[in-house]
Amino acid sequence: MQSNRSGSPASRGLLAAMHPTGQAGLTARFFALLNDRRFLPLMLLTPVLVFFIIWNTIPLLWLLGLSFQKYSLTSGDDPAFTGFANYLEILGNSSVWQDLSRTFVWVFLSVVLQTGLGVALGFLFWGSHKLPGRRIALTLLFAPMVLTPVATGTFFRLIYDPTFGILNQVIRAIGLPSVDFLGQSSTAFWAVLAVDTWMWTPFLMLMTLAALGSVPKAELEAAEVDQLPWHQRLRLIILHHGKFILMLGVLLRTIDSFKTMDLVLQMTKGGPGSTTNLVALTLYRQSFESFNLGWSSALAVILLLISIAFTSIFIFVLNLKRRGDAA
Amino acid sequence: MPDIRLDAITRRFGQQVAVDNLSMTFDEWTVTCLLGPSGCGKTTLMRMIAGLETPTSGRIFFGEREVTHLPPRKRNIGMVFQYPVMYPTLTVRENIALPLDNNAGLDAKTCQARIDEVLNILQLGAVANRYIDQLDAGTRQKVAVARAVARQTDIILFDEPTTNVEVNAKLQLVRAFKEVAQRMRQTIIYVTHDQTEAMTLADQIALMRSGAIVQCDKPRALYNHPTTEFGGWFLGSPGMNFITAAVKGGRIEAPLFPAPIAAPSGIAEGEITLGLRPEALRLQAAPGAGTVPAVIEDISITIGGRYLFRLGIGGISVKVKHAGGAVSGLEMRRGATAHLECPPAQIAFFLKGQRVAAAAG
Repeated sequence: MQSNRSGSPASRGLLAAMHPTGQAGLTARFFALLNDRRFLPLMLLTPVLVFFIIWNTIPLLWLLGLSFQKYSLTSGDDPAFTGFANYLEILGNSSVWQDLSRTFVWVFLSVVLQTGLGVALGFLFWGSHKLPGRRIALTLLFAPMVLTPVATGTFFRLIYDPTFGILNQVIRAIGLPSVDFLGQSSTAFWAVLAVDTWMWTPFLMLMTLAALGSVPKAELEAAEVDQLPWHQRLRLIILHHGKFILMLGVLLRTIDSFKTMDLVLQMTKGGPGSTTNLVALTLYRQSFESFNLGWSSALAVILLLISIAFTSIFIFVLNLKRRGDAA
Repeated sequence: MPDIRLDAITRRFGQQVAVDNLSMTFDEWTVTCLLGPSGCGKTTLMRMIAGLETPTSGRIFFGEREVTHLPPRKRNIGMVFQYPVMYPTLTVRENIALPLDNNAGLDAKTCQARIDEVLNILQLGAVANRYIDQLDAGTRQKVAVARAVARQTDIILFDEPTTNVEVNAKLQLVRAFKEVAQRMRQTIIYVTHDQTEAMTLADQIALMRSGAIVQCDKPRALYNHPTTEFGGWFLGSPGMNFITAAVKGGRIEAPLFPAPIAAPSGIAEGEITLGLRPEALRLQAAPGAGTVPAVIEDISITIGGRYLFRLGIGGISVKVKHAGGAVSGLEMRRGATAHLECPPAQIAFFLKGQRVAAAAG
């Protein structure tokens, strides 16, 4: 039997049927290519891939290239390849290490606080289907999440203001001396952390509600009838079904929290001193205020690697748990 | 005394009344099937007995104890759900053991003995150490049954447990339920819309419609003596034929009878509905005493190999289920003429949907 490249009519597909192969030329060839099972997926992916390469891969490679160069816009010198000099400088820079460790404390505290509060609120709303005003309360709680950090920052700077801020008016009303929350090093970090928590707790509440929504009602009812104690219901049923969504929420919040910059910039500009100076703010200042493009690119690469490390740990843990379930 | 007593139970969902002022006692150690079409309130009724719903009004008693407002965990019942519930991440054996482990009054030895007993009754021994994702729906449901049974509660509730199970596994499951019901002394309520299941399992069937129990009786009695048109229609496959006929001078005239038959006593004039079981009607090839000629409109075959005929007689249509194979000598085709006999003793009479006693003699 003679083999035929165009195949039987059945294998030629719809597009080929619309464009008979008898017609020679570019169009016919193009459609023949479309009909080839090997190329079709690739061609369908092409638009996304093009955008991904233009907006993601190329800038990333550019960044990587810059990080190996001495390149400052203020010096007037041409960029010069310096190998790992930027990286070594950063790793030996104690102020960067301080910013980094402050950021880790920031990430840890914000994620723990927001997860704790978010999960608690999620459970509260989950169990309150019949409470009046539930919808209004939910809408109000979600509001902070949709505000821009710049607006939130401005808004809270007014609230915290030592002379005319409402918080200090309340403090004075109960007979205490006013506090410059953002202006003194003992309170600034906590004041900003409180605002970040106000902003992002709803996100974890939302994730908790989504996670709880994925728990089959019948299993909870069976547990109730079977008289299982609450800790078994939590572990065997609620966490089993909800943990993936919840962990995803925690992961997203961790990465996002690591990148916090706008809120701090708007509220304290990293001060007083450097008490609220998070590493993303350092990065911003070095690139857009001091124009040390080489140095800041190297820092950006380091931060990217740290983010990837976070993600990998989470994914590893989740996969481990999944494998455990399948056993 | 683990009987279940419902005292004027009503449950409304907004404007809709799911269960309407229902009173009923389920005797201890009996299997009662709540049978009815979708939306008749049977599941709501069971969920109220379980405590998963609260009645809008009325009271529920387990023996002498009032449980109306107790949460399910305080009612000490077993329940099997429509969706086979197994606790994930646990093996079959661990699933059955879980509620027992929480029961402080039980020592480990008794627990193991009980688990082995139910594994044995439900033939789950081979899968005892398997996890949930290795089991089909039918087996999962058996595990759910085992878990409920092993607790040896006085009351077990089944909420359409075979709905999500494939047909072959269904039969096996129903057999397993039967076995469980016979071995364990428990008061069992079983919700189903499947009359075969109800007939197989029940000591008594409570037939429900629109939030009320229409009739509650032994399966055979329910089938033989439906008190309502609904009962006659719902039970049986297919249900009764209903024919409206005129009564004149205490006699009923209908195309089904060669001569008028006696109407129930007390009914001299007016209209009456006759209920005829398709399997009570007889079909033959040649005319005989008491037969009328009828035209075959349709022939089909039912489960069990019986023929189901639809016959036209003087403008009415009746279903006839013929026992055995083909009718001897009859032309088995549409348009052929057969002879139908309708034994007057087998007729149920209904007035406004309610059964009336047949005529004496």
